[in-house]
Amino acid sequence: MSETGQVVISVKDLYKIYRVGDTKVRALNGVDFSIYKGEFCAIVGTSGSGKSTLLNMLAGLEKPTKGQIVIAGEHMEQKTENQLVKFRREHIGFIFQSFNLMGTMDAVENVALPLTFQGIKKAERMKKASQVLDLVGLKKYKHHRPSQMSGGQQQRVGVARALVVNPEIIFADEPTGNLDSNTSKEVMELMQKIVREQKQTLVMVTHDNHLASFADRIFHIIDGKIVQIEDNRKNREGEEKNKENSEEKKKEEITEINKKEAGE
Amino acid sequence: MRFWDLLRMSSSSLWKRKVRTVLTVLGVVIGTASIVVMISLGLGLNRSTMEQMESYGSLTTIEVNEGSGSSMSFAGGGMAIMTTASSGDEDVKRLDDELVEALKQIPHVKMVSPTLRTSVIIKSGVYEGQVSVTGMEPEYMQSLGIEVGQGELPVGKNDLEFFYGNQVLMDFYNSKTQRYPYYETGELPDIDLMNSPLFVIFDTNAYWSSQSSGEEGIDGVTPQPPKKYMIKTSGIAAGGPEEWNQHSYSVYCDIEQLKTTLKRIFKNKAIPGQPTTKVGKPYKEIFYNQILVDVDDIDYVAEVQTQINNMGYQTYSNAEWVESTQQQYSNIQAMLGGIGAVALLVAAIGITNTMMMSIYERTKEIGVMKVLGCDMRNIQSLFLIEAAYIGLIGGLIGIGVSYGISAIINRAVHASGNEMNLSYIPGWLVIAAIIFAILIGMIAGYFPSRRAMKLSPLAAIRNE
Ligand SMILES: Nc1ncnc2c1ncn2[C@@H]1O[C@H](COP(=O)(O)OP(=O)(O)O)[C@@H](O)[C@H]1O
Ligand SMILES: [Mg+2]
Repeated sequence: MSETGQVVISVKDLYKIYRVGDTKVRALNGVDFSIYKGEFCAIVGTSGSGKSTLLNMLAGLEKPTKGQIVIAGEHMEQKTENQLVKFRREHIGFIFQSFNLMGTMDAVENVALPLTFQGIKKAERMKKASQVLDLVGLKKYKHHRPSQMSGGQQQRVGVARALVVNPEIIFADEPTGNLDSNTSKEVMELMQKIVREQKQTLVMVTHDNHLASFADRIFHIIDGKIVQIEDNRKNREGEEKNKENSEEKKKEEITEINKKEAGE
Repeated sequence: MRFWDLLRMSSSSLWKRKVRTVLTVLGVVIGTASIVVMISLGLGLNRSTMEQMESYGSLTTIEVNEGSGSSMSFAGGGMAIMTTASSGDEDVKRLDDELVEALKQIPHVKMVSPTLRTSVIIKSGVYEGQVSVTGMEPEYMQSLGIEVGQGELPVGKNDLEFFYGNQVLMDFYNSKTQRYPYYETGELPDIDLMNSPLFVIFDTNAYWSSQSSGEEGIDGVTPQPPKKYMIKTSGIAAGGPEEWNQHSYSVYCDIEQLKTTLKRIFKNKAIPGQPTTKVGKPYKEIFYNQILVDVDDIDYVAEVQTQINNMGYQTYSNAEWVESTQQQYSNIQAMLGGIGAVALLVAAIGITNTMMMSIYERTKEIGVMKVLGCDMRNIQSLFLIEAAYIGLIGGLIGIGVSYGISAIINRAVHASGNEMNLSYIPGWLVIAAIIFAILIGMIAGYFPSRRAMKLSPLAAIRNE
């Protein structure tokens, strides 16, 4: 199914090596994959496995040591910083773990910010931002400042801000990392719904297997290498029947993760 | 980004940090105000002295006085100063017709105008006043630019006629009561200078002697009151009793007619104010009190002046004074401006510091903006505009403060009885100061703004 779609991101032979003193840290150690239009992909791995490094490079925030990243037909690794900024402005939405909203602006203004950078007129960008806020279910919170909203609401604003420019692709680095599990679930469901309805492409990084299960495809990464790409859509067909099972499974997973994190 | 949005974002981020902004602006206010006030002082001084100099007369004129050794005093402004020349020192270089001719031969000399002053007493009815009459050549008199109120200048008349300044009557007193009506009541004595008969006493020495009756005269003979002469009035200068100009207290007449009149009246007696020989005899000739030499260009004034000096005469010209005062004032201005510049430099460092602090604080915000696709140049502009705003606000307030300080200075100067405006802020200074303040802000903000532009967007991703 996905193989027939249009390729939005194609990564070939990607390496990122950090030098720390005399030692080399291979944050990414030869990565190849493609992501198709309208897909919701999750990159899962333990802390330090290189997820953020990969995402930052896809978003053009860092330069790869070696390899190719082609997004929407353009080579990211060949762009200057200025060109990368321009590329992000036009093609990329970004959702942050710590929301990163502007404290002095209310919800609409925050959502409209990327449109401001595009040089769109105030009336127009406010209208568009307002529509997107309706979409993420914040109709009543348009003129609330970040400090007047809960974490979940703030992240919805963050999602709206990523959506507002109608980007080719949205990146999210641990988007629910600062939220409790219930709110995380709500936000994940929102993102899932929007990706489906808006036919957006979303690449999300998480260390949580359960959250990853909201995605269409899951990339498992260990020590800078993608070890498994799991197609979740096949699993999901039986999901409805096994709802209770999955609830139990989730609990197990959470305890498992807690153990892992405690171990680190 | 639209320019308007840049402006809005910059100003809102300044607004967000009000206290710090106010403190930084304060530095610029102090810097701008000190520069503007300093320059305004220089300008005010310069302007009022230039005005003063112009009121003192032409800047291309050289005054020639007689050579050293003698102290010939004139009766000036109606005061009775009767010191005659020191016992005839033959070496004294006197101002005579021969000298007038010689001066005319000097290159670049346009006009040579001898003046002859004598002190006379004028009586009209109960009033009398002692005034100094200045004889000058008609050509020169016409070149003075005297505004005639009534009548005309005493030019081309058959007999000696006087032209009165508009404030001459101030010094007339009632000869019975010895009171000055103007200084007591503020009103001039009601003398119609044009039409009522005016009697002029030239031999003032004899007049004073005859006034103090009972005492013996110089020659041991009881003095006779001197003869009075009726001198017609040719005209009066324009202006009321309050409107001073350099001709206000003067009485002018034709120099040749004054000479002949004096010769006729005094015959071989000594004329008051004229030098005498060693044995106290008067000279045959009447010497001038002063010769004014007009030079065709201010650039040659110094040259001509030296030449006349070398001939043994004392000279004086405004050009010297103008040059040295201008030099002095530009020195003062440079110094005062320098103090202001240092103040602004400190303010600029303040701006840089504030901007740097703000950038450290906003590292994350800047990173987010870069991740969201804000152009690097826009980021730089945001910070430059912020710095420019600080400069602009500081400049505007600084101008306001300067006007305040300037008004206070001028009021203090006026209170001390001086009419001049010591501090003067022209329009160009206002505009220049504001532009300068903005520029200072932007220069101070340039380095921080580049730094902001180059910040890594990864700062936004990292979780602290
Ligand atoms: N700027 C850096 N300098 C040196 N090492 C880095 C840097 N960024 C990341 N690393 C290392 O690269 C590896 C991958 O990091 P990261 O991608 O942040 O992991 P995660 O999967 O937790 O997001 C880690 O071992 C980390 O220490
Ligand atoms: Mg990470």
